[in-house]
Amino acid sequence: MTLFLPADLAEAIRRHLERAYPEEAAGLLLGTADGADKRRVVRALPVDNRWEGSDRVRRYTIDPRDLMRAEDEANRDGLTVIGIFHSHPDHPPRPSTFDLEQGLPFYTYLITRVDGGSAVETRAWRLADDRLRFDEESLVISDEVTR
Amino acid sequence: MTVVRIPTPLRPYAENQKEVSAGGDTVAAALEHLAARFPALRPHLFDGDGRLRSYVNVFVNDQDIRGLQGEATPVSPTDRLMIVPSIAGGGEPGPLSRVDHAALRTNQAVIIGSLIGAYVADAPWLVLLVGLLMLRGSARRSTAFAAVYAALRNASLLRPDVLSDHPEPHRFAQFVGGIVLTASAVAFAAGAATIGWILSAVVVALAALNLFVGVCVGCALYYWLARLHLPGFSKSPPPGTRPGRRPAG
Repeated sequence: MTLFLPADLAEAIRRHLERAYPEEAAGLLLGTADGADKRRVVRALPVDNRWEGSDRVRRYTIDPRDLMRAEDEANRDGLTVIGIFHSHPDHPPRPSTFDLEQGLPFYTYLITRVDGGSAVETRAWRLADDRLRFDEESLVISDEVTR
Repeated sequence: MTVVRIPTPLRPYAENQKEVSAGGDTVAAALEHLAARFPALRPHLFDGDGRLRSYVNVFVNDQDIRGLQGEATPVSPTDRLMIVPSIAGGGEPGPLSRVDHAALRTNQAVIIGSLIGAYVADAPWLVLLVGLLMLRGSARRSTAFAAVYAALRNASLLRPDVLSDHPEPHRFAQFVGGIVLTASAVAFAAGAATIGWILSAVVVALAALNLFVGVCVGCALYYWLARLHLPGFSKSPPPGTRPGRRPAG
């Protein structure tokens, strides 16, 4: 399993996540999924964190309407909603217990650790078929990635 | 037949189709038809009691059925039904939250500036406004002047200063400040301007003590009340931190 992420989109994602610090931020990844193994991100759509209350420093939720709009956009442009990106402020970029409870199959979960307002590490994950764990997906961030 | 759009995570259970047709006059009937046609989809849509799962949102032509008639919402062949999963997640919860002290300091600075401005311009209404904004900020689990901080941050004039800390004592401190300013406004309204300005000056002094010395008297008060086991006051100071002092990190 490999996720190809163009460098300019990685940069846009980083900016969105850093701006929200210390709160978590999230967004949707549109792209192509050729077979099960290779995915390419073509567009990154930042969305608002709709989690209510003070726990936004470690929780996010996405408005179903935002997902619906992203699905519309993907359908229109021959793409697929392939995943979700979100930040873990001052926390490792590994899926948490809560991420596992809420995890959906198929989607790539791109998690970025943001320390003190600066993104430091990004890793990609996919929920295993048994839903008991996340498997890491290799992440290739490059200018060379063709859209 | 109504067109139903299947979200990507559920497509493997519907023979990888993006959209399928389903019969039925209501959302419930259409979903039941869908589940009968694709049995692998059923456990992802309904729980053991046949109720729609909480993370499954259904939209009819861009409208959430929760705002319509729920599963009894009628559908016709010209309608589009969309199944949309709820997406959530986040980092691991720790015993302490993360509190942005740069946001708190901005708040204190704006409070001090506004109250001094109110005195200079002899504008008691501004005292009341600041007090109400502080009360509103506490009720919203935020600061009175969060918007000012957001603007300064967006302009890259301020950087966050996030510490492991409890937000509750800071909200309590702001709440107490808001109450004192409201009392001050009542004094103005009653014609006791001197008392009004004295109460405002107390808030300025305490905010300045917090801003320039790093001592939050309202927070210390919160921790002392917590020591008395007063209901609603449950937090102890972060490890190694004296009540009301800035936590180490």
